[in-house]
Amino acid sequence: MAAASGCLFCARPMLPRLCAGLAAGPRSLLRVSAYSTALVVGSAGPSPGQVAASRRSRTSQIARNRRLPGAPRTEKMAVDQYWGNVYPTAAAFNPSSVPLPIRMGYPVKRGVPPPKEGNLELIKIPNFLHLTPPAIKKHCTALKDFCTEWPTVLDSDEKCEQHFPIEIETVDYVSAGPSVRNPKARVVTLRVKLSKLNLDDHAKKKLIKLVGERYCKDTDILTITTDRCPLRRQNYDYGVYLLTVLYHESWKTEMWENEKTEADMEEYIWDNSPSQKNALDTLVRIRAAEKTTEVTKEELLASEIVENYKTTVVALKNEGETENNILQYKESVTKLLNLQALQ
Amino acid sequence: MVPVAHPAPEPWAAGCPGSRLAKGRWGGLGTFPVNYSSRDMPKQYRFLLNKDLLWVQFSGFHTDLHHHKDNSLISISDEPDTLYRKLSVLVKGHDKTVLDSYEYFAVLAAKELGISIEKIHEPPRKIERFTLLKSIHIFKKHRVQYEMRTHYRCLELKHLTGSTADVYLEYIQRNLPEGVAMEIKKTKLEKLPEHIQKPIWDKLPSVEETATGALETGH
Repeated sequence: MAAASGCLFCARPMLPRLCAGLAAGPRSLLRVSAYSTALVVGSAGPSPGQVAASRRSRTSQIARNRRLPGAPRTEKMAVDQYWGNVYPTAAAFNPSSVPLPIRMGYPVKRGVPPPKEGNLELIKIPNFLHLTPPAIKKHCTALKDFCTEWPTVLDSDEKCEQHFPIEIETVDYVSAGPSVRNPKARVVTLRVKLSKLNLDDHAKKKLIKLVGERYCKDTDILTITTDRCPLRRQNYDYGVYLLTVLYHESWKTEMWENEKTEADMEEYIWDNSPSQKNALDTLVRIRAAEKTTEVTKEELLASEIVENYKTTVVALKNEGETENNILQYKESVTKLLNLQALQ
Repeated sequence: MVPVAHPAPEPWAAGCPGSRLAKGRWGGLGTFPVNYSSRDMPKQYRFLLNKDLLWVQFSGFHTDLHHHKDNSLISISDEPDTLYRKLSVLVKGHDKTVLDSYEYFAVLAAKELGISIEKIHEPPRKIERFTLLKSIHIFKKHRVQYEMRTHYRCLELKHLTGSTADVYLEYIQRNLPEGVAMEIKKTKLEKLPEHIQKPIWDKLPSVEETATGALETGH
């Protein structure tokens, strides 16, 4: 079986006589048929014995004239040759060109993996014989002329963001198949930090509301992914158009924005809130009960204790409950209501 | 300033399909067709002739301009170079050893071309298994199971210019082995477009006035 498979795939067949016979077979048959038709017109023709003898002599002639395969190239290779001349491009593994004693395949029982001659496994697997380190270095020195250097000014991510705030992400696909195209290649993702855009407070809040899920609060990055157009260039243009529209629309103030309720607010604002009213009412009543000088609400608002209370309440509501926040709230309340005596 | 490249037909470039690369060539500001002018090429490589023009873009900070002028294959154009903050090359294959060798080749090529490598990692392999009936008719209890194993290797490069990225990617993709697929994720840096610098609503009233003025004069 090994011999037969070697016969199919090797340059030099394992059984020359058999192959020669196979190769010569059809031709000899044709010649025999031609010979026999020619002789039908004339005399009776040669006997079967004579025909067989002529066929045997012809095959032996062919076998004798056949050029014997020479020594494999590996034996003629110098030790210090340039390997790039043996495998300049990607090529299938040729056992007579690779001077290495490679064995590959599953070993027979109590044996070793098969040798490289006629080894299909070595031919099937992609080899990197054309990409040896000296060859790669040679290619790269030739390619280096076409490369340009990265500007040294942009050595960190922060500087990149400062000068180039927008990031466009695209994906290319390379694979073998019936088609070169991949429909996923038209997707374009645009990322920008809102702090780099020229937005005021109202514009930023409106933009975040317009955009919804595409904005990440932790990293302050707006991500726009477009794939509705068939071409990548069109998707990129559409993404930039979306960003422009969002930016300009967020600067506009519509009539219906005046109807913004407390439920729509993104963050807690202390002014004109129930907390402020309650705190001021309480303080006014305390002052009235103690019969000290009448203090107006504006003076109370301006006082430091109320400011402190305001900051702690705002921190609690916006940032959530942390140990630090709650401790500070406790301190501000004790100061507000003069409860230092109760420790 | 942009070097336009007419790459010398290296022996390793011969016989590789050029159509594979058409997808990787999306420069935002400059396109990347390939020009092999026939008089530059020796006879045996004429079959590589394509009628497109290869533009290699220039970052503007290049110092050895004189060296470029000596090399007749490179010419420089005025378009600014694109900048890639990150280039992520993910290769997928059925054989892990082939991916190992390819990674060695890609890493060495990146080092030789002066590209900084951020990270090389191996995402976990995925095995897709399915069960089919062994016989064409009846014998439901006897089945055969197949599986397809996909191994991955990810190479992340950072801070590449457009020309360098195109050169590196073309080199990598031409030497991609059989049975290996590749996905390239490019993160391009861009300035804010001019129309986003300021809101236009300040300028609009003047536009409206001229429009209404035109209407009044017209009718």
